[in-house]
Amino acid sequence: MPETVATELTLNGNELELDVPDFYPLAVVLREELGLTGTKTGCFEGRCGACTVLVDDEPVVSCIYPIALTYGKSVRTVEGLAESTGPLSPLQQNFLEKGAVQCGACTPGVLMTLTSLLERNASPSEDEIRDALAGNLCRCTGYSKIIEATVATVEAGS
Amino acid sequence: MSVAIGDSVPRQDAEAKIRGSAVYSIDYEEPHYLHGKILRSWLPAAKITKLDTSKAEAMSGVSVVTAADVPARYGMITVDEPLFAEDTIRYEGEPIVAVAADTWNQARAALKACVVELEPLEVIGTMEEALADGARLIHEDWESYPMRPPFPRDGNVATLVELERGDVDAAFEAADLVVEGEYRAPRHAQASIEPLVCTVRYDDGKYVVHTSTQAPFQLRDGIAAYLGVRTSDVRIIVPTVGGGFGAKLLPMLEPIAGLLSKKSGRPVKLTNTRKEEFLSGAPRENAIIRIKTAVSNDGELLAHESEMLLDNGGYGGEQPIVAGLGPLCLCTNYRYGAIRHATKLVYTNTPPTGPFRGVLATSATFALERHADEIANALGMDRMEFRRKNLYKEGDLGAGGAPLEGVGFEQVLDAVEKVAPWKDLTAEKKPYRGVGVCCALWNTNNAPSGSVIKLNDDGTVTLQTAATEIGTGAVAQGLPQIVAAELGISIDDVHVTQPDTSLGLFDGGAQGGRTTYMAGTATYNASVNMREKILDIASGMLEADKSDLEMADGAVVVSGAPDRSVKLAKIARTVQGTQGPMVADGGHASAGPQGDGCIVGGVFGGFTGGSYHAHLAEVEVDPDTGHVKILRYVVAQDVGKIINRQAIEGQIDGGVVQGLGYALYEDLRLEDGICVDWGFGTYRLPTAADVPEIEAEIVEIPDTVGAYGVKGAAEAPIIPVAGAIANAVADALGKEANTIPLTPFAVLKAIQSDNGS
Repeated sequence: MPETVATELTLNGNELELDVPDFYPLAVVLREELGLTGTKTGCFEGRCGACTVLVDDEPVVSCIYPIALTYGKSVRTVEGLAESTGPLSPLQQNFLEKGAVQCGACTPGVLMTLTSLLERNASPSEDEIRDALAGNLCRCTGYSKIIEATVATVEAGS
Repeated sequence: MSVAIGDSVPRQDAEAKIRGSAVYSIDYEEPHYLHGKILRSWLPAAKITKLDTSKAEAMSGVSVVTAADVPARYGMITVDEPLFAEDTIRYEGEPIVAVAADTWNQARAALKACVVELEPLEVIGTMEEALADGARLIHEDWESYPMRPPFPRDGNVATLVELERGDVDAAFEAADLVVEGEYRAPRHAQASIEPLVCTVRYDDGKYVVHTSTQAPFQLRDGIAAYLGVRTSDVRIIVPTVGGGFGAKLLPMLEPIAGLLSKKSGRPVKLTNTRKEEFLSGAPRENAIIRIKTAVSNDGELLAHESEMLLDNGGYGGEQPIVAGLGPLCLCTNYRYGAIRHATKLVYTNTPPTGPFRGVLATSATFALERHADEIANALGMDRMEFRRKNLYKEGDLGAGGAPLEGVGFEQVLDAVEKVAPWKDLTAEKKPYRGVGVCCALWNTNNAPSGSVIKLNDDGTVTLQTAATEIGTGAVAQGLPQIVAAELGISIDDVHVTQPDTSLGLFDGGAQGGRTTYMAGTATYNASVNMREKILDIASGMLEADKSDLEMADGAVVVSGAPDRSVKLAKIARTVQGTQGPMVADGGHASAGPQGDGCIVGGVFGGFTGGSYHAHLAEVEVDPDTGHVKILRYVVAQDVGKIINRQAIEGQIDGGVVQGLGYALYEDLRLEDGICVDWGFGTYRLPTAADVPEIEAEIVEIPDTVGAYGVKGAAEAPIIPVAGAIANAVADALGKEANTIPLTPFAVLKAIQSDNGS
């Protein structure tokens, strides 16, 4: 078996110790070891962005991000955006109301990218939103209603 | 709160998708399931000279299947496709062996232990090579393959579809002007974010299949054919689907997982890698289209002659049916004095092609509308004026010879011009700026559907349907909205079942814009039946005449006497206790237009639920980089009747952006049968940074069959995009733009060429 070192991290605000091989992709650990299947894997080549999660508040593609790199860091996934029975985050609520979700396979990654953007920049322009999203492929929506939902979130927050 | 037809009610499935709690097939697991893996051919054409799986079979906990385990071949029309290559390889990516093991790594090791030797054959990599005199036959035994219906075919021509009406030769002799063009369109990958993935459990002679599919019944039939069992012995259950676009209609992974489950006695999960998706996902066919038109000096179209070559790849799949649409997709839109057309579906040593949103109409409309601009330019006539003069008008014959009703080209062009007046846009020609318009008439798939509605004892209802939600909202919004509107209840009080072929009535699947049209009309019929039953009972309970009763807010009320009402929950419990639970059903089927019999080799004589479309694009080309910037994009789309405006807007946005990919970026390239693009690194999808704002004008020209006059709305918006963009680019450059995608490289080449537009 490959070498394993216990990895300590914070996952959606809870401290966690993991005993899995260093090179396991974060997405695989989330989905298969921890049952957090909200993070989707669309390509396993780091290009579609569906598996985007936040590591220390920065978006990363978790399908090619080795678990060992999360040591001592904070990981956030779509399941951490709202309590499971609590209200949705303002961005999530706008996704619901503006029709920004179709098949939904890209949605968790898109939400994580945009959550990170809005934390760094509370009032991004539409071009900044589009640029931030350029690494998240969506095949259904044509992006328009995703942008609309994000702009609505920015406007409500300002 | 009651709901009305036309309201933008939110999707029932949105919250679970937004929270990350929705379970997709890729997330679905069964206890003690095995991981399956497929060894695929690395050559596009070969003989299998050695296949030895004994070492893999000897490995602990490993199950192996090959062609020797498969009872039958399959084909929707031509029975030409084995599940695993038997002795001949016909495309790169063709399955040869599959294994199942406890872990993915063990499965990979087992595949490595299989010995496969291939002897290369001459590769027939292109349609031109396949059609050349004396070309090697891709299927040596093609004549022995059963074909239903028996369309004309010949060697490497898998299907031939022809149309002839009027005296074409005389028209060309009489013509003042003949305009000719050749147009080429690429392979186009559906590229849903969730790949093909399934889990199959063989259980007491039956196969229980959880899979990411658009069409559970169509898939069921294919699996049963491969596995040699009754269709009812295959049960398809559909978890949340992460996109389809046509790629999730045919049996691919499921019968393989079924055989592995039968052999191992354990559930087996098979997931395509992204590379496997690109290799074997049945993309839209690449096409070569040639059109010649006889024109009079006053701009009348005396005759249309055309040929469409469609690359089938190694096996038929659904493509013989798709090819049958050739004449309807290409000899359309305009009144012609005479028509001659041939569509040839051509076998090659390339991955099999398949249906993708808009099927043939995407390439045909691009070619036809590019050609229309070329005719107008040759006549010196304004391109909009040419269209308004020659586009179909009420009562004209469609391509199949059936008279057209409710023709709406004028309405959609007017709707475009209302926000983007053509005269203003074309008044002044600016350098490297261009405007293009493109029209389309499109079909709604008319495969039948049935719905059952149960009245629950808490006053809610359950809609039992096998109609499948693939992202459009047709099931998550449209169907429950129809039930809620007809029964006067909240959409939250309509539960919709998961698609399950053992429980739901037949449904033709999420394809061709049909769910709201066919399943919607079936659901409307079931709702009306349920309402009648409820009112019959309520009439007795309230001692009121049925015609005085209304349904609102989850109750039946006597009109004008709000104190005289009975809740649906009470009606449900009363009926349950006296007659048994209350249930109502509804079905819908519709025969399409028959046409005049002039089309030979196709199954369609005309379009059902035909809808009208006009798109306009304004672009600016960067002469240094070849980059096409879209300055403005306007859509006018006839949907028959708006059920949910927000959902329709979402379909227009998404369809147009897929069309922009087809027009500008996407090309699943092959070199000598080998797939060049097998990842998102080189296969370029449109991103948020590429796409413009899309202005949508929704037009309602009611259908005569669909409930409320509804027509398909989700499929069509992809169709006119490539024509609108190519016409705008040609206008910007004054050069031909007859091959898509118009990548920066292609545009730079066009700028340097001598070919006028």
